[in-house]
Amino acid sequence: MGTVGLTLGWEDTISPASDEGGRRVEPSETAAGRNRDSGLSDDATLAAGCAAGDLRAYERLYQLQGSRMKNLARNLLGSPTDAEDAVQDTFLKIQRGIGSFRGQSAFVTWTFRILVNTCHDLRRSRVRRKEHSHDQASEDRPLPEPRAPGSHPSLRMALERALASLTQHQRDVFLLYEVEGFRHAEIAAMLQISETASKNTLFQAKKNLRGILEPPRASEAGAL
Amino acid sequence: MNLSCHDRDRVFLDGSAEEWAALEQHAAHCPVCAEEIRAWQALSQAGGELRDYRDDPALWAKIEASLQHNQGRRERTLGFWERLGFGGPAALSWRAALVGALVVVLAVAGVYVIRPPSPPVAAGPARLLKSSALAEVQRTERDYMKAIDQLAAEAKPELDSPTTPLMASYKEKLIVLDSAIDELRVETWHNPSNAHLRYELLAMYQEKQQTLQEVLETKR
Repeated sequence: MGTVGLTLGWEDTISPASDEGGRRVEPSETAAGRNRDSGLSDDATLAAGCAAGDLRAYERLYQLQGSRMKNLARNLLGSPTDAEDAVQDTFLKIQRGIGSFRGQSAFVTWTFRILVNTCHDLRRSRVRRKEHSHDQASEDRPLPEPRAPGSHPSLRMALERALASLTQHQRDVFLLYEVEGFRHAEIAAMLQISETASKNTLFQAKKNLRGILEPPRASEAGAL
Repeated sequence: MNLSCHDRDRVFLDGSAEEWAALEQHAAHCPVCAEEIRAWQALSQAGGELRDYRDDPALWAKIEASLQHNQGRRERTLGFWERLGFGGPAALSWRAALVGALVVVLAVAGVYVIRPPSPPVAAGPARLLKSSALAEVQRTERDYMKAIDQLAAEAKPELDSPTTPLMASYKEKLIVLDSAIDELRVETWHNPSNAHLRYELLAMYQEKQQTLQEVLETKR
């Protein structure tokens, strides 16, 4: 695959996370950034508005988080159309389930938990559909894109392919942390795991991604 | 803080800002660690390639329409319960109790409908109670009813003003049972020697007794 994903300069864009060790690219000028500024009171106001059935509260939630939700859904599902369905479905589930939200986590964290679960459900149903129609589709299905040796697919495509080979859990954590800019505590609440498990999973995901995106080093190749 | 190559993975996993600074200091004269740090952090930057936060007002329009549709449906459902006097969020448990009672009513009605028709009562001695036997059965029934009435008296305060949905459900069930018992008693009064009717009446009494015992147990 080459080192296309690992050769960009990074010094000027990577900043230390404020409350966690390590460094990552913060999603600057993004919904995530806006969310950090908006604070807890905004989160509680949103939750209260949604609980009262105020559609303007849902609109505000969409303004603040909609693009981030759609981005995450697209990366989890691999299709913009499915991502839109997942976001729409998530808003309906929020509306139906807001009565059960007790504030154990931030409202936004709760909404992303619903989104991640919705994406998993959609993905599973899509796999079942594909399995069901496998026989008919196998003849018409387009062949995977040929990848000639030495070709340089875009970084995005390379990363998407590499992510597809991770476990679902590793993919979730990588996308939530490195792409969407959530903290480990938030990811732990979303995926119902411990913070340590989130850190370990991210570590393992990045190790695996490195192995996939980088060619074996000369010393390792010589040993084979 | 001095760190070595051995500390690298630990810092990658869960290093503090100070530990990262120390590792970078070490990497300044360790090319292996410098390369590892560069590759590790480049992955973080690569994650940015998957970030596409374009606004999509068309999607909001679709979401808004489905939210409004859903809300309208919920309001219509709520209106139905309010017309029945079960409005408001606090009445959710009462609605559950009402649904439970309806299920009981339907179940009892279902038993009557689905039950195979009783075979014509044989005129022979096996299906008709003789006068001495009938007197014995009627005396036992009276004693049994008396015992059940005592149970009912004990359970009455709980049933008169049920404080829980479960108790309300029991109350509904007992109303249905009493109604069925009354009907059977009318039938047995018209046909006192019919053993089949007597058995059905006994089954109803047993059901009532069991329900009253459950009420008293719940009370305790």
